Formats: sequence, structure tokens, C-alpha cells
Amino acid sequence: MGNRAAAERRQLHNPGSFERLHRRCKDVFPQQIEGVKLVINKNLSHHFQAAHTIHMSSMSPHYHFNATYSGKRQAGPGENFPLLVGEMDSSGNLNAQCILLLAERIRAKAAFQTQQEKFQTWQFDSEYRGDSFTTTFTLGNPDIINESVIVVGHFLQSITQNLVLGGEMVYHRRPNEEGAILTLAGKYTTPQWIATLNIGRGGAHASYYHKANDQVQVGVEFEASTQSRETTFSFGYQLDIAQANMVFRGSLDSNWVVGGVLEKRLAPLPLTFALGAFMDHIKSKFQYGFSVTVC
Amino acid sequence: GMAAPKKSEAGCPRGLGDLLRAAWALATDRSDFRRNLIVNLGLFAAGVYIARNLSDIDLMAPQPVA
Repeated sequence: MGNRAAAERRQLHNPGSFERLHRRCKDVFPQQIEGVKLVINKNLSHHFQAAHTIHMSSMSPHYHFNATYSGKRQAGPGENFPLLVGEMDSSGNLNAQCILLLAERIRAKAAFQTQQEKFQTWQFDSEYRGDSFTTTFTLGNPDIINESVIVVGHFLQSITQNLVLGGEMVYHRRPNEEGAILTLAGKYTTPQWIATLNIGRGGAHASYYHKANDQVQVGVEFEASTQSRETTFSFGYQLDIAQANMVFRGSLDSNWVVGGVLEKRLAPLPLTFALGAFMDHIKSKFQYGFSVTVC
Repeated sequence: GMAAPKKSEAGCPRGLGDLLRAAWALATDRSDFRRNLIVNLGLFAAGVYIARNLSDIDLMAPQPVA
């Protein structure tokens, strides 16, 4: 009996990280494009990549420089360590991350965000990936002088090959104030669809992803917040036409926002062209734009 | 003295009318959290139903000849 249980456990896979629970559904939805954006990616070597982004919009023009270094140690497909990412814009704001593989199953991450000369965010994560579970511990903006901190703990366990259950505990402390929120999470995965639910005192987040066929993927989301007393429903779809090198993503939600983004790879040139528009019927606001990405 | 009101006048029709009025007020009150929760949950269920019945779409299928 013990051997059977152990054998069944061996067929269980690692459930991944808590942040990526709703990722498949979210990837179906289009990202808002506003104004004109030009992105130039340049691989300087196998380990070093630089990117320049010029964004011209009605809000303010921006230039971003992004540099990424990935090391030689490989933990999985597309996962090289150490990973150093830094992005700075023309206003001097910096966004930097460093991810290290401390051991075969232990990862550590440090992330910093500055606005002008002030630190906005400083965060330290450590993650342990077991055969059938993942556990993460995060310290957000620890400040000994002001006695404030945010501590987050995540745990995900594969119960069967399809079912993952887990939870999140968030504890925050400020002078004269402290609180904690517990959220339970569950995910059921099949080859064709994925259903995910997070529920707790702060609200609920449910998502359903469905792959209809090689061309059509659909995502449905529901979010409710007890703090802001708001609920939202979103429906998104992705159409892949590989023969035309084209991807179209569309969405509509309960706030009467309808939008779509069309992406076309201009083969044989290393260019991707994207055209997008979003209409907010309640606020009578229309946003549109296009972007060109050079790889 | 005044006659006591007949039970049939103060009975079901008035109660049902009040119930219908309250239901209509809830259904049309966009700022009510419970109402929005029920509506969006229903939309979510409808969206899942639509998603699960989309398997027969082929975007590259030839156009039907008239």
C-alpha cells in the first residue's frame, strides 16, 4: 500500500508557482496599446540581450532601456540561472530583478523598483520546488526603522495528476496597524481546459481557459473584491492563424470595455507588427495604437 | 368604529407587487454589490458554456460557394 502510494506520488508533477496559477487564461487577453511603440531587441551574445523601447503617446513620450543577462546553469527549458534583468526609463526610474538557483530545488529572487532617487519596492523571495509541491516565502518592503513589513507565504500541492490545491497567507504590519489575509486556491487541469479558483476573505478570482482547437483559445474570468465591493466579468479569445503568421486577441468585460489587438509577423523580416484598439463605452473613451517589434 | 381591513385587500396581491418591485429595483441598481455579484457570476457561467462549445470552428475552412 505504501509502495503504491509512493508510486502514485511519483507520477505527480510540480505544480509551478502561485503567481502563474491564472497565467494560461490571462495570456489569451489582449494587452492595451496606446500611441506608437517601437521595440528593438538585440542579442549581444548567448547570455546577454539588450532592448530599446521608444513609446510615443498622448500621456508622455518614454524611452526604456532593458538589459538581460542569463547564466549557464539550466534548470529547465528556457530557465537559465543566474538571471539578471534591469530596465531604466528616460525619467531615471529603475526596475531590477536578480534570480539565483541556490540549489537544485531552491531559488531566490531579489527585486527593486525606484522612482527618481527613492526606492518604491524592495522584495526578497525564496522558493522551494519539491516533486509534487511548491512553497514560497516573500518579504516585501521590510523596514526595521519604521517597523513595517509585508510577509507572504504560498503553498501549492499536487493532489492528483489533474488537481492542485494550495493557499496564500499575507501578513502586513505598519505602525499601529497589522493584519493577515488567508486565500485558498485550487486548479484543475486537463489537456483541453483549465479551471482555477482563488477564494478568501478579501474576495474571489475564478478563471476558465479552454483550447477549442489549434486555432481558437478562450478565457473567461470572474473577480470579486469585498474591500472595494466590486465584481468584474471578462471574456477573451485568441485566434491563431499560423498559415498567415497572424494572431488576433479580443476581449470584452462587464465594464463595457471592448478591445482587440492584431499581431502579424512580417516574415521573412524579423519584424512583428501589432495594431490595437480599446473602447470604453461607459466613459466614452477610445484608445488605439500600434507597435513594431524588431527581433 | 372603523371596520377592520379585509384580509383579502391586504393579502397576496400587495405582497407580490412589493416583491416584484423589490426584485426590479435590485435588478436595475448598478451600484448594488449583491446584484453585480449575481449578474457577473451568471455571465461567467454563460462564458464557460460558450467556451466549452466552440470546438467546431475552423478559421481556414474554404468559404461555401453560393
